[in-house]
Amino acid sequence: MAKLGVFDLAVRYGKLLAVKDVSFAVAEGERLFVSGPNGAGKSSLLGAICGAVRAAHGRVEMDGDILSGRAPEDIARRGLSMVPEGRRIFAGLTVRENLMIGTGQRRDRAAVADDLETVYNAFPILRERAHANAGALSGGQQQMLAISRALMTNPKLMLVDEPSLGLAPKVVDEVYERLCALQALRGLTLVIVEQSSTRAARVGGRMLLMRGGKVVADGDAAAFAAGDLLAEAYFGDPS
Amino acid sequence: MSASRTTRHQVRRRMAATTPLLLALLLLAFVVAITAFGDRASARMASETLIRVTLVAGFWIFAGNSGVISFGHAAFACVGAYVSAWTTLAPAMKATLLPGLPAMLADARWHVLPASLVAGLAAAALALVTGAAILRLSGIAASIATFAFLAMVNTIWANWTPVTGGTSSVVGLERYVTPWVGLGWAVATLAAASLYAASASGLALRASREDEVAASASGIDRYRHRLAAYTISAFFCGAGGALMGHFIGVINPDAFYLNLTFLMLAMLVVGGIGSLSGAVVGVLAVSLAVEVLVRMEKGVSLGGLTFALPPGSQEILIAAAMILVLVFRPAGLLAGREITLPARWVTGRGAAND
Amino acid sequence: MSLQLVFDALSLGGIYAIAALGIALIFGVMNLVNFAHGQFIACSVFALILPSADAVATMGLGALPAPLLIAAILAFGAGLAVAAEALVFRPLRNASPVALMVASFALGILLQNILLVAYGGRPKAVSLWPQLGSPVQVLSAQVPLLQLLVIGAVALILAGLALMLKRARVGLEMRAAAEDFDMARMLGVRANGVISGAFALSGALAAVVALVLVTQTGVADVRMGGQIMLVAFIATVVGGMGSLAGAVAAGLALGAASALLQAFLPVEARPFRDAFLYGLVILVLLFRPQGLFASVGAKPRV
Repeated sequence: MAKLGVFDLAVRYGKLLAVKDVSFAVAEGERLFVSGPNGAGKSSLLGAICGAVRAAHGRVEMDGDILSGRAPEDIARRGLSMVPEGRRIFAGLTVRENLMIGTGQRRDRAAVADDLETVYNAFPILRERAHANAGALSGGQQQMLAISRALMTNPKLMLVDEPSLGLAPKVVDEVYERLCALQALRGLTLVIVEQSSTRAARVGGRMLLMRGGKVVADGDAAAFAAGDLLAEAYFGDPS
Repeated sequence: MSASRTTRHQVRRRMAATTPLLLALLLLAFVVAITAFGDRASARMASETLIRVTLVAGFWIFAGNSGVISFGHAAFACVGAYVSAWTTLAPAMKATLLPGLPAMLADARWHVLPASLVAGLAAAALALVTGAAILRLSGIAASIATFAFLAMVNTIWANWTPVTGGTSSVVGLERYVTPWVGLGWAVATLAAASLYAASASGLALRASREDEVAASASGIDRYRHRLAAYTISAFFCGAGGALMGHFIGVINPDAFYLNLTFLMLAMLVVGGIGSLSGAVVGVLAVSLAVEVLVRMEKGVSLGGLTFALPPGSQEILIAAAMILVLVFRPAGLLAGREITLPARWVTGRGAAND
Repeated sequence: MSLQLVFDALSLGGIYAIAALGIALIFGVMNLVNFAHGQFIACSVFALILPSADAVATMGLGALPAPLLIAAILAFGAGLAVAAEALVFRPLRNASPVALMVASFALGILLQNILLVAYGGRPKAVSLWPQLGSPVQVLSAQVPLLQLLVIGAVALILAGLALMLKRARVGLEMRAAAEDFDMARMLGVRANGVISGAFALSGALAAVVALVLVTQTGVADVRMGGQIMLVAFIATVVGGMGSLAGAVAAGLALGAASALLQAFLPVEARPFRDAFLYGLVILVLLFRPQGLFASVGAKPRV
């Protein structure tokens, strides 16, 4: 059974159809990049999966459970965690408070402490700044905090929206390096929105290409970067 | 498309122009029907309803166009009512009731019409001054400030005894409002409201209501348009307050406080704040409900049994209805639509085949 | 004289701060300016006495021994607020802040008229803890015992609340929700839990205000929550909308300003004290529209 299944999903804002009949599946432990130009519907797709946006029709399943129609907090508690676009860290809370926010539903305090240790080891700067206001962190540090905050909910599936946005290339390298290491360590399934397909190819994984709300190509990220499928996806006729 | 054909834009403008006309005809039919078939009680109810149309359509000029809820418009009605009392009451009456009035006012004995106009102007002047401060605030904070303004006016009026009579009532106002007077003011207000809504200022204000981002880019303009709408709106609420005084004949500050604010808001919400037609329909619907409930509070006989709702149930039921409307039909009965003639009636023959 | 003024300012400001917190807590988590808060206060006052139209009230809950009475009234205020949320505001969860505000205004009118139907419109004499009116000598000032108790209770409540927001799970969730509710939900924070919690807290704070008001004035009046709610609104605007610390600071400042106006205004101008206060605030906002105590874009912090 696929970890995540998306079936004929559509998202509508008023008259605008942002996502049109998208279907795909993600296997356990897989790393899936979702790429495409601005306005392709990538963020709307993630929003509909995690319950922040209501789908117009279609459904989303995780481990065979239907997620569509559930409140975002219920979806999060089932093991799906979100690292949103723009990071949206709680600037007025301390770094440690940000990390602990998502642990409310976890009963095993020892496991929470272990996870905190894991996150601190992966991102030592977070341990160093544990009691500082999260708003005082740099952009790259905030991205690491957002990833760690999502990890603290003990997810099986993690959605990451544009982790490279607004960061220097060197910092982006670092973010991806740590993210992949954590994925390996925790056996996570990752769905990452990444506008740069070359970046996705460099990191490695499967890639969905979206344009005009539809999936126009699906395959290995490295193959995309080499071939001209990409150019067609950006400039070709979507229908 | 030939040049003689009406453009879609013109059609829409012509359709919009029919709205106040149709609303005025609706009110006229209401008055004619009541004066022809109703008793004195229904005539009184008609006058009262038309005064409310004046108040609520006036209120709509600001709230409907800006999207900012004001709790302060009952205060403009209060000021208007007292200005009219100061200028129209018999000087002997004023000498006993309101000994603190300046000589100019104490001796005045005006006719009600100029007095109501001056009442509107006084309210507008007050709106211009206070709005200059209040409307600099963002939407919700501005609403709170209008509430503070309402309380401020109420505190002053309830304590400034030599000039306002304090909490005791000022009596003896000429009872001048008939359904026809009410109709005149209501229609004038509707005309002004649709003229403002179609003006450059009204259009800009509604655009800023719908698009906060674009609006904040032109914050100074938005402030000026808000202030203009607030001032015009206060004029009609001031005049409406004067009419209230000359309808009942008695005024006191608490008649222009929370209950009036609530009633005006309820009417606007029930009909739909998004359109002028909504404001009018809201007044008619809520007035009808109030009338029925007031009669039930007085007692209704059903087959030998008399039952009466306890006093206060009118407000309870209307408040509950208002909450239900907000939950189930948040845009109100008319959902932001205007009552207009169908497009083919206003385009003439040529466009009828489109 | 001046020491007396300090006590007046502190006790009045403390009550304003508690009321402002009740408003700011709810605004923080769901952008609702709660115009029914004044009626939460009034209903808590009337919960002390039995429904009747008599001029002198018969105690209901008010007849309980003090510790039980306080617990019962706090529970009543909290329960009323939670019920209001479930019945009125939860169905409006996705409505605009303006619609929420208008609905709360309607709810306030509804509650006020329910009180009118049950208790009649005339103010009633209520004698709750009359012994608290007796003066105590503090240094050079004669201070009513109640004033000292109020100041102490307010300090305790503020400290307890700060501790709860800082240390307790629900406090953490409330602060996160106040910053970015949708994000908090995506991390598994239950929206209903946080909102109900904020309403319960706000209702309990309204009950505290009710107890102080009724002990101070010896009267139960349907309109008694209105003035204090308005001052609390103003405190939340002046404090920067949604900032809890700002609301407390502004509440204390308004209390001090009120006490000063009361002391130094000429006698004939004193009935207009509140009008001066509101006018002063509108003036202040003219120069700092974002509020006195919040920098632009500041987030709620305690």
